[in-house]
Amino acid sequence: MEAVNGYVRNIFETVTTIFEGMAITFSHLMRRPMTVQYPDRIPKPVQETLPLRYRGILEVDMDICTGCLACERVCPITCITIGIDMNKETKQRSFSHFDIDICKCMYCGLCAEVCPTGSIRHSQEFEGASYNPAGLVRHFVAQPVGLYKPKKGGETDPTLAKKVEVGMKYLDEFATPEGAGGAGKEEG
Amino acid sequence: MRQFVDQLIQNGYFAGAPKELVYAGAMIVAALVVLSVFVAPLAGVTSWLERRVWARMQSRVGPNRVGPQGILQWLADGIKNLLKEDIIPASADKFLFSLAPYVVFVGFLSAFVVIPFGRELIVADLNIGILYLLAVTSVVVVGILMAGWSSNNKWSLLGGMRSAAQIVSYEIPAGLAVLTIVFVAGTLSTQGIIKGQGWAPWDWFLFYNPFTFVAFFLYFTAALAEGNRTPFDIPEAESELVAGYVTEYSGMRFLFFFFAEWGNLYVIGAVATILFLGGWHIPAIPALADQPILKGGLQFAVFFVKAYFWVFVAMWVRATLPRVRVDQLMSLCWKYMVPLSFVCVVGTAAWMLIWPQGNRPVSMAMFLLGVVILAMFSKRVGYQIRHARPVLYLRPYI
Amino acid sequence: MSEAIHTEGNGFHTEYMTLNVGPQHPSTHGVLRFVVKTDGEVIREAIPDVGYLHRSIEKIGEKVTWHGYVPYTDRADYLAAMFANQGFCMAAEKLGGIEVTRRGEFCRVIACELNRIASHLIAVGTFGQDIGAVTPFLHALRERETINDLMEMICGARLTYNYLRIGGVGYDITPETCDRITAFLDHFEPITDEYDRLLSYNKIYVERLANVAVITREEAFQYNIVGPNLRACGVKWDIRRDIPYSVYPELEFEVPIGTGERGTLGDCYDRYMVRVREIRESCKITRQALKMLPKGPAIAKVPRKFKPPAGEVYVRVEAPRGDMGYYVVSDGSEYPYRVRIRTGSFTAMGIIDKLSRGLMVADLIALIASLDVDAPEIDR
Repeated sequence: MEAVNGYVRNIFETVTTIFEGMAITFSHLMRRPMTVQYPDRIPKPVQETLPLRYRGILEVDMDICTGCLACERVCPITCITIGIDMNKETKQRSFSHFDIDICKCMYCGLCAEVCPTGSIRHSQEFEGASYNPAGLVRHFVAQPVGLYKPKKGGETDPTLAKKVEVGMKYLDEFATPEGAGGAGKEEG
Repeated sequence: MRQFVDQLIQNGYFAGAPKELVYAGAMIVAALVVLSVFVAPLAGVTSWLERRVWARMQSRVGPNRVGPQGILQWLADGIKNLLKEDIIPASADKFLFSLAPYVVFVGFLSAFVVIPFGRELIVADLNIGILYLLAVTSVVVVGILMAGWSSNNKWSLLGGMRSAAQIVSYEIPAGLAVLTIVFVAGTLSTQGIIKGQGWAPWDWFLFYNPFTFVAFFLYFTAALAEGNRTPFDIPEAESELVAGYVTEYSGMRFLFFFFAEWGNLYVIGAVATILFLGGWHIPAIPALADQPILKGGLQFAVFFVKAYFWVFVAMWVRATLPRVRVDQLMSLCWKYMVPLSFVCVVGTAAWMLIWPQGNRPVSMAMFLLGVVILAMFSKRVGYQIRHARPVLYLRPYI
Repeated sequence: MSEAIHTEGNGFHTEYMTLNVGPQHPSTHGVLRFVVKTDGEVIREAIPDVGYLHRSIEKIGEKVTWHGYVPYTDRADYLAAMFANQGFCMAAEKLGGIEVTRRGEFCRVIACELNRIASHLIAVGTFGQDIGAVTPFLHALRERETINDLMEMICGARLTYNYLRIGGVGYDITPETCDRITAFLDHFEPITDEYDRLLSYNKIYVERLANVAVITREEAFQYNIVGPNLRACGVKWDIRRDIPYSVYPELEFEVPIGTGERGTLGDCYDRYMVRVREIRESCKITRQALKMLPKGPAIAKVPRKFKPPAGEVYVRVEAPRGDMGYYVVSDGSEYPYRVRIRTGSFTAMGIIDKLSRGLMVADLIALIASLDVDAPEIDR
């Protein structure tokens, strides 16, 4: 009797669980698919929907870079190389090169965290395909650029002020021991 | 068709050629037409539809770029596979390796001989139609075994052996389920079986008595197993055997196996329709009486929709169920399906002794049972939607 | 059953077939290789061959700074990067005597538990796929995708988070993100039930897993099985509960253990169900942590040039693949002197040979999936 019971129960369980499973899969015909039809059939580019914290390809705003080399030092894989020349006559220092090898970069965000002005930051860009490895090295200095000197009491040049504001806004995303950063500010 | 060729001969075409040669030529032309006009697009569109249905059940979109809604995806895939390099492994048995896809293909294509498309539309109404069908679909196993053996690959071999064991075992419940209907209809001819039914669901053999109702599900399960479909796709079990017997195949040879698989789905649905679902029967509409072409078209449409519904069910089952293990597959066959199908055969025989003309109230009751099952199913679907609270999207396209 | 067809001693000369499973096999979860000797479909021997994904993560630890090593730990187990982060950060904090801020601890718990859900979703999803059910796998990935989006909002990355810093977390969790997480959990909890109905209770699925590859309590101790695999053997052992760290003692949660509900205690089905239940527990923990999230800074003051005093520590965290241990030695310099990572997947590989004897090829796949081994975690 036990065996017969087990036999019938096996058939019953098989039929009912398959019935239930098929109801679930059928109900999915009426649900919205999850797929994002990247890159062409989406309402707006994916890059615009990403949060500010998104760690995409690194970008550097050379106008507000102070040349402190903090990012170069903190990078665990030394994918950032910075060259600074000193003009012997004017004693002016300027960048000779500022290269980021995005081949090596592991998008950890440590460099952006230490930047005092937020000039090096992760963009929302993630499409980094290139036909050759050399194309993956991003050069940010076309011709020698002077170093940025932060002014006491805020930036006066309106274009630079805007850039500094963007950089500081990016830096606000990071948590700091003072409790500033992100929403921590509003919450105290 | 014979009459048509006779007419052409009488009108003076093919003068001088022997009559038999003309018939043979006509048959080859007809086969080519059926193959290229019906079977190839059918298998292709089935592959596309399967991918779309699967995708929607998995919250994806599926192929939707080639042609409107991706319906021409199968053409793109076919061209791609034609242009691919045809690799025959160095240590393979070259002759068997190249032959195997065609054996599989012939096995499935021969089934179309006895599958009707309408009251008049059938290649050959053999008086042993169903027996022929069971016989030719078994040729597939020879092809699969050849592919598994000749590839000289251990995964292929395991796949081939699994397939042989599986198909041979499942022939028995499938054959017995078919036998149930042969008892009721009293004929082996496919057209004869259809003519024994009617257009109304309660006239179908599916609802003839409780035993045929069970026999239908036994047949469908066994047919899925014979067609190597999930949950019985163990010969090509992707996560276990890499790709089973097709591991070493590439290009068009590879495609031929899948061509056969998707085409076979339609054969499964068509046989189910012939045996259980009233075939091409349509209600007698007076307006259609003197319009044979329209009537034939309607019959074909009815048959096709019924058959294709079971193709959809096979896709749906594939999207739902996990795969059984090889020993469980055997125990399912020999411990559950074979005894149950014997019960169906004996039960139907007894039923026919008691009610030789069938039992109309029981048929109606069985039909009602079917409706109740459908209602229960819709209720469960509604429950799933209410429970998960998804974003609804009722359009079939995206 | 399998012993009956063993042919030695009855006069026949038979050979076992050597099958090479992996490293390109579809269900070896990355790059694993097994050399399998089979008798037909029945496995006689399955020797795991590890090392295809070795990346010298431990050695790299001696070459980069304490802060700079945290992103490397992501790669130790890319499905559960948060836990690898946390193990190393806890070790460094213990060496340097740094107190993590309270908000930082809660942020860690929220991120870790979300990561645990994501990792277990992969585990149960691929489990289904290895058994042949592809749809549940994609349903699981669909939910994981939402978690990835949340992680993107929290820390800006989807897979290799590098969220934790020594002394706290790198980014604070904003109220907006909190709302999104709550909304996700509200949506996700019914989906776990649906997942159960679709896959876990399916008769075919149960039959495939019940009574397959049973690990007994004693074997689990002998082979040093940890995490969900250990709990599936009926051992109530969870680092979060038994060697408490972070703020876990303040949170209420159950430790699900195997019950042998469909077969024997410690079979594949128990290992599967423990993970499914842990997903629910993680949802509960996340909800509590979101409610209790205190105000204050999310990171403590840690010098840029972090130089912990010389010494050695061993810390353990409860990662999705079990007890993850970090043995870190400091010689007082800017670089760790030695980093040793102990992972659950590696020890789980040891038992596969013993368990797989007499199983079928299909069961071996189920066994590998049930142990939830993760190739990067095995080799490091």
